[in-house]
Amino acid sequence: MSAVRFSGVSKNYGPVVALAGLDLDVAEGEFLSLLGPSGSGKSTTLGLLAGLIDADGGKIEIAGRDVTALPPEKRDLAMVFQNYALYPHLTVAENIAFPLEARKPKPDAAEIAKKVEAVAQSLGIGPLLARYPREISGGQQQRVALGRAMVRDPKVFLLDEPLSNLDARLRIRMRRDLKALHAQLGSTIVYVTHDQSEAMTLSSRIAIFNHGKLQQVAPPAEIYDRPANAFVANFVGDREMNFLDGKLTTQGGAPGFVFAGGVVPLIASAAAVAGNGALRLGIRAEAIEPTRDGGALRGSVILAELAGPDLFLTVRLGDGAEIVARADPRAFTAREGEAVSLALDPARIHLFDAETGIARHHGAA
Amino acid sequence: MSASFVHAMRRKAVRLTVNAVIAVFALLPILWGFLSSLKPTDKIVEFPPRFLPEHPTLEHYTRIFADNAAYFIANSVAVSAAAVLLTLALGALAGYAIARFRFAGRDTLMVSTVAIMSIPIASLLVPTFTLLSWAGLADTRLGLVLLYAAYQLPVVVWMLYGYFLSLPVEIENAARVDGCSPTRTLFKVVLPLSKPALVAAGLFVLVFAWNDFVVAVTMTSSETARTFPVAIYFYLGFYGREWGPLLAASIVSIVPIVAIFVLLQRHFVSGLTGGGVKG
Ligand SMILES: Nc1ncnc2c1ncn2[C@@H]1O[C@H](COP(=O)(O)OP(=O)(O)OP(=O)(O)O)[C@@H](O)[C@H]1O
Ligand SMILES: [Mg+2]
Repeated sequence: MSAVRFSGVSKNYGPVVALAGLDLDVAEGEFLSLLGPSGSGKSTTLGLLAGLIDADGGKIEIAGRDVTALPPEKRDLAMVFQNYALYPHLTVAENIAFPLEARKPKPDAAEIAKKVEAVAQSLGIGPLLARYPREISGGQQQRVALGRAMVRDPKVFLLDEPLSNLDARLRIRMRRDLKALHAQLGSTIVYVTHDQSEAMTLSSRIAIFNHGKLQQVAPPAEIYDRPANAFVANFVGDREMNFLDGKLTTQGGAPGFVFAGGVVPLIASAAAVAGNGALRLGIRAEAIEPTRDGGALRGSVILAELAGPDLFLTVRLGDGAEIVARADPRAFTAREGEAVSLALDPARIHLFDAETGIARHHGAA
Repeated sequence: MSASFVHAMRRKAVRLTVNAVIAVFALLPILWGFLSSLKPTDKIVEFPPRFLPEHPTLEHYTRIFADNAAYFIANSVAVSAAAVLLTLALGALAGYAIARFRFAGRDTLMVSTVAIMSIPIASLLVPTFTLLSWAGLADTRLGLVLLYAAYQLPVVVWMLYGYFLSLPVEIENAARVDGCSPTRTLFKVVLPLSKPALVAAGLFVLVFAWNDFVVAVTMTSSETARTFPVAIYFYLGFYGREWGPLLAASIVSIVPIVAIFVLLQRHFVSGLTGGGVKG
């Protein structure tokens, strides 16, 4: 039985399609991240699941029960809101205790106090229990919001960017804690974020949204290595994917991809799968090796960025297209303005339908 | 001394002067009334007038309490308090419903609420008196309570509606997810957060009910249901103008309302939602 099931759920705000026919299953105990750019429908999905937004159509089930028409208080969920939504008139302790106070039957006071204390300790907000939300920092407020959710044992946890306001170090620690918590409690978590490294490190699966449409649901590695379409390919990864528009060709009997800036060699399986229409070639920076010469494409460096152990070179090709390649700065360096040659690893080239963006061929990881 | 310091001092002086002038204008009549209420009858209208009483006396105060002022004050307190509570209870429910729920006739309700606010009470006196008589509530305190609530409800609904709208809805959403029904959310979260608006709206009704003369004098005739403003008025009527008791009663009627304002002022100064939501 899935913990959560969306079947054809949609939501419009006037002409704005916030969510278009969502079909999505979340397994029991799964950590599912909803990932997508701003305005892609992540919070809407969470709001629909929580019962805070009424669906225009479709069915939502929690633990096998149709909850589409059920008010939020009957859905047995815990939620962390994107903007915390703490109770300003209550202390930190009272905020965390609030969901327990509202339970029926209500646990006795000693038990509530014990749970609040334990949660506050684990979040490092023990000394703040007597303060009001306006008297603590943004990061502390966010932890109180987390505590208010963690104090319960709900069917599903809904977290809407719960770490967005923490400083980098605390965020990493909270990530670890969340992961540990998930492993320990085995709770089902639906987690909204637009930080993909967060999604990659935490999730059992990631659901990628764009313009209210679910693009792909898959484990992190698969999302990265086998993106369902050009949007997903571009959205995940530290850097945008490089895209070239063109079509298949053969060059001296070998398969290749021809575009305005030249011809790129392909492996046979890519050429076999991809068919004959307009295509979009996608390749990540780490699959492109800049050399002095000997690569298939030539261009001049317009930007050289040293990022830790990597040197990223943005190269403008003859046709004006720009491509980012990664170099190992100990083996190869280039300055802005220098001419370089780029060798694209044929095995790691993805091909997408130029019109629909749907993946036609996946390169190796 | 720097120029900016001089400038600041000058600004301060100007502000002080303006405030003092306003205070004198507003308070002088009250002060005059109070001082005069301490004068024997023949000195009150003496000419030329004297500011300070030569031989202060409490005779007018003794007189009004001998005339049963305590009972009329109690009537006023009871009627005003009941009107405030009733109006706030109904106004909060209605205002919340209009602010947060979508239902048929919602817009009509809102528009008519605003429209009703613009009807002058004087034009309602005769019809409401007839209604009250039919209901058997003419000349009763309950009748007054219902009328005050009815007159003030639209503006209270409007005030509270506006305030509820300004509250971040996520806080209520959080309460719902945390297990609260809409009603529990209203009582546990919305109303506690709305204290400033409730206090302001409550004072609004209180001032109206406490000071009302026109409605009370129209709707009541017996001493049983008489409120304090009506009782005060009687010193103007039957035995000629009785300035002394009139002034004493007026001063007494001011005291409770000023006390309540002072007591509650810190509640309606600032909002309470700080720290609830980000940004
Ligand atoms: N109450 C509303 N009224 C009108 N439009 C809305 C409303 N709520 C959301 N939308 C629209 O629906 C779309 C999806 O919004 P949603 O809040 O789900 O985005 P999101 O993915 O959570 O974005 P973010 O990362 O910025 O939080 C957006 O285009 C948004 O403008
Ligand atoms: Mg959002």
